[in-house]
Amino acid sequence: MAPLMAFARADNRWGLRNHVLVLPLHSALSSTAREIADAIPGAVALGHDWSGEDDNDLERVISTLSGCAANPNNHSVVFLTLETPFEKEIVFRASSMSAQSLLEVSLPQMGSIAALTVSAKEITANLVVQASLEHRVEAPWSAILLGLECGGSDALSGITANPALGIASDRLVGLGATSVLGETTEILGAEHLLAARAIDPEVGKRIVATVARYESSINYEGIDLRGAQPSRGNIEGGLSTLEEKSLGAAKKAGNAPFTGVLEFAEIPQIPGLYFMDTPGHDIEQLAGFAAGHINIVVFTSGRGTPTGSPIMPVIKVSTNTPMFESLTDLIDLDAGTIAEGLETLEETGARIFDEICEVANGKLTRAERGGHQEFALSRMYGTVLG
Amino acid sequence: MRNGFLHDSRGVGIRHHQLILPSVVCSTHVARRIANQVGALTFAHQHGCGIIGEDVAGIDDFFADLAGHPNVSSVLIVGLGCETIQAQELATKLFAVNPSTKFQIIQESGGVEATVIAGVEAARNLDLQFPKIETGSAKFKVGLDLPQEDAFSKELASSISGLGLDVIVATHSAASIDNFSDFMRVGTHVIVSRPSGNQPASGFPLIPVINISSGSGLHRATTQDFDLGHDADIPIILQTLISTIEGTLTKAEMNKMGEIRAPRRVRSV
Repeated sequence: MAPLMAFARADNRWGLRNHVLVLPLHSALSSTAREIADAIPGAVALGHDWSGEDDNDLERVISTLSGCAANPNNHSVVFLTLETPFEKEIVFRASSMSAQSLLEVSLPQMGSIAALTVSAKEITANLVVQASLEHRVEAPWSAILLGLECGGSDALSGITANPALGIASDRLVGLGATSVLGETTEILGAEHLLAARAIDPEVGKRIVATVARYESSINYEGIDLRGAQPSRGNIEGGLSTLEEKSLGAAKKAGNAPFTGVLEFAEIPQIPGLYFMDTPGHDIEQLAGFAAGHINIVVFTSGRGTPTGSPIMPVIKVSTNTPMFESLTDLIDLDAGTIAEGLETLEETGARIFDEICEVANGKLTRAERGGHQEFALSRMYGTVLG
Repeated sequence: MRNGFLHDSRGVGIRHHQLILPSVVCSTHVARRIANQVGALTFAHQHGCGIIGEDVAGIDDFFADLAGHPNVSSVLIVGLGCETIQAQELATKLFAVNPSTKFQIIQESGGVEATVIAGVEAARNLDLQFPKIETGSAKFKVGLDLPQEDAFSKELASSISGLGLDVIVATHSAASIDNFSDFMRVGTHVIVSRPSGNQPASGFPLIPVINISSGSGLHRATTQDFDLGHDADIPIILQTLISTIEGTLTKAEMNKMGEIRAPRRVRSV
């Protein structure tokens, strides 16, 4: 097995990438951030639609943006700011979690969007040069914080890609890495099985309580989530019930015991397998992972997706071979080989493990090659009151 | 006042934007690649999937309103395939009233590169099929986005009406982003905005936004991003409005400013 090579951060964390992230702290600066990153190879940007609103989702927005900034995959961050108190709180929290360089380019100080763009490009380019001088060094397995994600699930998800990913996840956890299962929507109906694998009764209770809390947050709107799942795309993919979907989705977490439960964007403190309370919306859930300092993701799909992340490499695994063959530039690995009788689950799991190691060591994913850096803020409340 | 552009059943526009409309966040990057190649307009958003309840119809209608805006010349919807808001159904819904709509679906097109190639060709064909046609002057709609209604805003609205333009007034307590969405939904051609003092000048894809400074510290520090100063009187505002309708780009258009946020009532799932 080749050694794991990563970027050592001054605060003892490990980056699997060495990004310079351009992070706007107001929606009006999002297109500017994208323009800056597009102009500088090696820079990444995220865009969002938060305009500094002080509403019920404020804490969630602040923890998401500060957590993303402090993700260990970032060599440094260039914040584009208006210098508001909320923005200062985001930068402060990021600095308290991270030893990386966090620089601010202020619109009021620059005087115009045009001047801000010029200045931020210069700063970003200089940081990219600094980042390029850093080298990977041998890292322990605890350097890996793996996110487990699925989307566009189909009838094969629960018997090919997801359990194969579970084998890779178990192996990593056994080596001392961290693995995080998300998407609360997608374990509805299977929470009792996950709770039974908790390291102690308290963690088991938290898993069940987190799912119940999630469901009630939807039910208060008068909507029965269990009646809205599986989704239309899932049904077209051959899934019949929510329980069938959830039992398959939970397979991504293998058979290791659950060390703990994480709130959205919370950072795991010790290695192990965790469950994080995130929505099933793929891009919002990836934002929760990035803010929780996950540094690599495996995403299984039955229907196919171009999804990537500005911060984490996202490895896509197909559940069926026809989709893998028809969407060649979206998918990194095919687990449909199991259904085709060409591989055992264990063999595919080993292939996924090897791919995680190679991508952790710097191999680009399909999403990275294609420049996919989708991002979305997760909100617990609507943007419209009433 | 210059004539507008005839845009079928959507009416007469003051801009002739081809819109590459991602029907889901997952297709925003592909939409951007297509738009960059053909010189069309697109935007990033985080909607289209993981929505439930009244938001499903709400977001679908919001996208339909974007595609049906009078400043839009033609529309290419780019979907993923498995999302809640289905691109094909959205296109069918629009096509019934607007023949300048096509769609491209990533999962059915052979992946990203194949979608970009097919999308670029479709967009170019749409552009040829629906060229810029000037038409007689129309009754354009103006959105007034202000911190509060007062004597000045009433006089301004009255003066704009005096030019033969329709006026819609909306006030904001913080950012203007949701007012801009509301203006879009009723086919507003141009927006005059005086942002709150703690908000920057901002824009909205599809609709020119004229930003007037409030004179706050932030606005004084970023004077160059505003089309008009805080002391702009009504004749100057009207002159800028007419000039914008006649084709002069606003600062927000030049800076390509503006995110789109659809109104949401329920959390994502």
